[in-house]
Amino acid sequence: MAPLKIHHAIKSYGAVRILHGIDVEIDDGEFVVLVGPSGCGKSTLLRLIAGLEDMTEGDILIDGRVVTRLHPKDRDIAMVFQSYALYPHMSVAENMGFSLRMRQARKEEIDRKVREAAAILDLTPLLERYPRQLSGGQRQRVAMGRAIVRDPKVFLFDEPLSNLDAKLRVQMRSEIRELHKKLRTTTVYVTHDQIEAMTMADKIVVMRDGHVEQIGTPLDLYDDPANVFVAGFLGSPAMNLLEGRVSDHDPLAFQLMNGGTIRLPRALPVEAGRTVILGLRPEDIVLATGGTKARVQLVEPTGADVQVNFAVGGNTVTAVFHERLDLEEGSEVALGIPMEKLHIFNAETQQKLAS
Amino acid sequence: MRKTDNFARRRRERLLVFFALSIFTILNLVPLLWALLTSLKDPADAFTIPPTLIFEPTLEYHRQVWLENDFVRFLMNSLIVSAGTVLISVPAGSLAAYALSRIPRRSAGPILSTLFTIRMFPHMLLAIPFFVMGSYLHMIDTYPLLILALVAINQPFTIWLMHGFFLEIPRDLDEAAAIDGCSSWQAFRIVILPLARPGMTVAALFSLLLSYNEFLFALVLTGVDTKTLPVAIASFGGEDITSWSLSAAGAIGIMLPIVVIMLLLQRHLVRGLTAGAVKG
Amino acid sequence: MVRWQRGLWLFFLPSFGLLAVVLLWPLAYAFYLSFFDYYLGSDERSFVGFGNYVALLTEARLWASMWTTIIIAFGSVGLEFVVGFALALGLYRLHGSAKVLSVLLFLPHIVTPVVASLFLKWILASNWGLLDATLLTFNITPPDWLGDPFWAKLSVIFADAWIFTPLIMMVLYAALQGLDHALIEAAQIDGASNWRILRHIIIPALIPAIIFTISVRLMDVFRFFDIIYVLTGGGPGTATETITMYTYQLGFRMLQVGKASALGVITLVVVAVLLLSFNKLLNRIYRAGDI
Repeated sequence: MAPLKIHHAIKSYGAVRILHGIDVEIDDGEFVVLVGPSGCGKSTLLRLIAGLEDMTEGDILIDGRVVTRLHPKDRDIAMVFQSYALYPHMSVAENMGFSLRMRQARKEEIDRKVREAAAILDLTPLLERYPRQLSGGQRQRVAMGRAIVRDPKVFLFDEPLSNLDAKLRVQMRSEIRELHKKLRTTTVYVTHDQIEAMTMADKIVVMRDGHVEQIGTPLDLYDDPANVFVAGFLGSPAMNLLEGRVSDHDPLAFQLMNGGTIRLPRALPVEAGRTVILGLRPEDIVLATGGTKARVQLVEPTGADVQVNFAVGGNTVTAVFHERLDLEEGSEVALGIPMEKLHIFNAETQQKLAS
Repeated sequence: MRKTDNFARRRRERLLVFFALSIFTILNLVPLLWALLTSLKDPADAFTIPPTLIFEPTLEYHRQVWLENDFVRFLMNSLIVSAGTVLISVPAGSLAAYALSRIPRRSAGPILSTLFTIRMFPHMLLAIPFFVMGSYLHMIDTYPLLILALVAINQPFTIWLMHGFFLEIPRDLDEAAAIDGCSSWQAFRIVILPLARPGMTVAALFSLLLSYNEFLFALVLTGVDTKTLPVAIASFGGEDITSWSLSAAGAIGIMLPIVVIMLLLQRHLVRGLTAGAVKG
Repeated sequence: MVRWQRGLWLFFLPSFGLLAVVLLWPLAYAFYLSFFDYYLGSDERSFVGFGNYVALLTEARLWASMWTTIIIAFGSVGLEFVVGFALALGLYRLHGSAKVLSVLLFLPHIVTPVVASLFLKWILASNWGLLDATLLTFNITPPDWLGDPFWAKLSVIFADAWIFTPLIMMVLYAALQGLDHALIEAAQIDGASNWRILRHIIIPALIPAIIFTISVRLMDVFRFFDIIYVLTGGGPGTATETITMYTYQLGFRMLQVGKASALGVITLVVVAVLLLSFNKLLNRIYRAGDI
């Protein structure tokens, strides 16, 4: 385990720039998740840390040592691939012990370490099997076992759960989390799934188009997104983002772009007439008398919650209620909006103004 | 109603096609079958008008051509040359093909095009300098000279074939191996090579087939000592009709090993020959 | 290339190093030789510049051999393609029994070309060959298949076709099997005639395979040596003397290695030009008649 520092990472393929100067500092033993939509550069960044791609500019430091130009095998890292990349002609035990074999460790030591890792991951009965005889989840664990045996300074995960079905994914998520608690190795984990990010990370790095949008703990990013993108990215169902302006003659009325008006309990710290974006999480909306007029469009009960789509003017507002409500589609209701849960974003820059 | 009509029509068509193809196949194999028959005949039966179809078969000439006419020695020559070619061509070609499959496509493209261009060269254009230089170095009628010539014409195809196989081995195996501590050579030897074994078998068989069947280079570069089977049988070919049974026996004998091997492995053969056409 | 993969360049060394020595060097030497008047028996050679090329290009024999080559090449490839395609379609129709038949049909291709040529020689030989013997039995006087200038060319074409049609058949058959069968079934249900299905669905989809096979075959047929050497030796006279056979005569019978090298270079140029124009032509047809 060791601290990892990415310093001004720039990566270009010919004329196309993929990463525009990424700076990330990761503490010893932290579980950091790189998350973002496809093409944001998160996998590229991971591969730069691994040494599988060359950095155009910038440096990577592992445990204070500059590894930018080192061969992957000299960086003291281990990686779990999306496709697991298990060696098909070697048994599970041989796969796991391979890195030690290349380091020319003694047979007893290899056997011991493999058995230890297998015990942690519940792989002991499978040690003599071959990858083609294993299920997806088992292969994933072998891939992790291979990484553990290396005992590296940093673990790298490249979307390891993408190929698993939903149920298995949930199970593996907690297993990886448990593993991290036990081993405390610095981990960089790449995913496009914001739920994985929220549930597993000590720290999240949200990326888009080769830039870092925001870095923080899951709850920090959830409660205090720095811009519209982060606000809309984390959380499911997504935050309601409504563009509009405060009415000139009524400071408590917020006129929406597509028609409709939001009634606010108190005035916004924004001058009238200026266009801003209001952010409101679905779970923060309540039913209140005398609030914003809305018409029920769609009611989706999930058993634990009820998800409702409302029409406010020409806008759709999604709300989630944690109690069984009797709402008829097409009926008119009034919504209450708590001021303290409101986020305000600059309409042009999309950055946070206040909350 | 129309559907069953269609069905019956198609079934009739299929039967017709089957018959047509079967008849064609039989006719197509006549030269082969006739040679087989000739090889089992006494010379007296071999050239008659009308052609003799019922006769007393004999294996005498098969025995003779191999044991008395030196064909066993020619077989050894063929095997030595073929083995030499395969043992040089396949390893060298595999290494190059592997590298070709891993470097960025930008760089690989021109190299592949060049190799394809080389395949286009007329063999005669290569045979002449080999002959001249071989004469000059007194290497005519030696194994190395012929082997080197065959390696030269074999490589482009071998590399192309192996390239296709290596492309199917996922790159993240190389990456995992690199992270696990392998240099390029170690990754190739320990991780990739075992997976490429089926491909190398196919490449080896093709090389073997091409070397065994090679005529032009063998004709001009071999002499009494290193004469291979194709050269031997060509001059045995048959101006003298009294030795037709012998020649036929020789020809059939030369053909048999290949046919047996290739029948056993025809799946790979077809795959290798057609790869590149279907995928373009 | 990524830094950690730099070692890969060394992997090219054995193969390309070898090729440089056994391929590029001799080819360069051949090219060099083409500028000399060199009789291999003697030890002297004189530089003649483009003398060999001029002599060849003004020779009747050369042009005759080119013409012969073209006739045989296009005759062979044409025949092979038509028959091969028909066979492939037939096999495609069959499904089950196709496997056995395809193997049997492939046999002539597996056999050593020299041996295959001998088989055919024993069929086509005058008087005693199977064909003549059969015809004579019915009192039909057959032409001299291998000894008559016209028939000799046909025999060579036929021989080449016998050996190489299976290859085209296999490639096209594999391509057919790669087709989307649903498309054809849909057309059949709609009642389309077989001919229309062929023209509008099958052929367009097979164009890449067709281009590939014809290119490769044209390329090969220009170089082919074994068949003619065994069947006719280039004769009668020079009736079946292709460029390759003429080059052989020049280089290995007359030992005029300088002139032979020049002819080899000329052959190379011809093949290259042919290949390029053929590909361009077919690609244009492909793009023009694109679906």
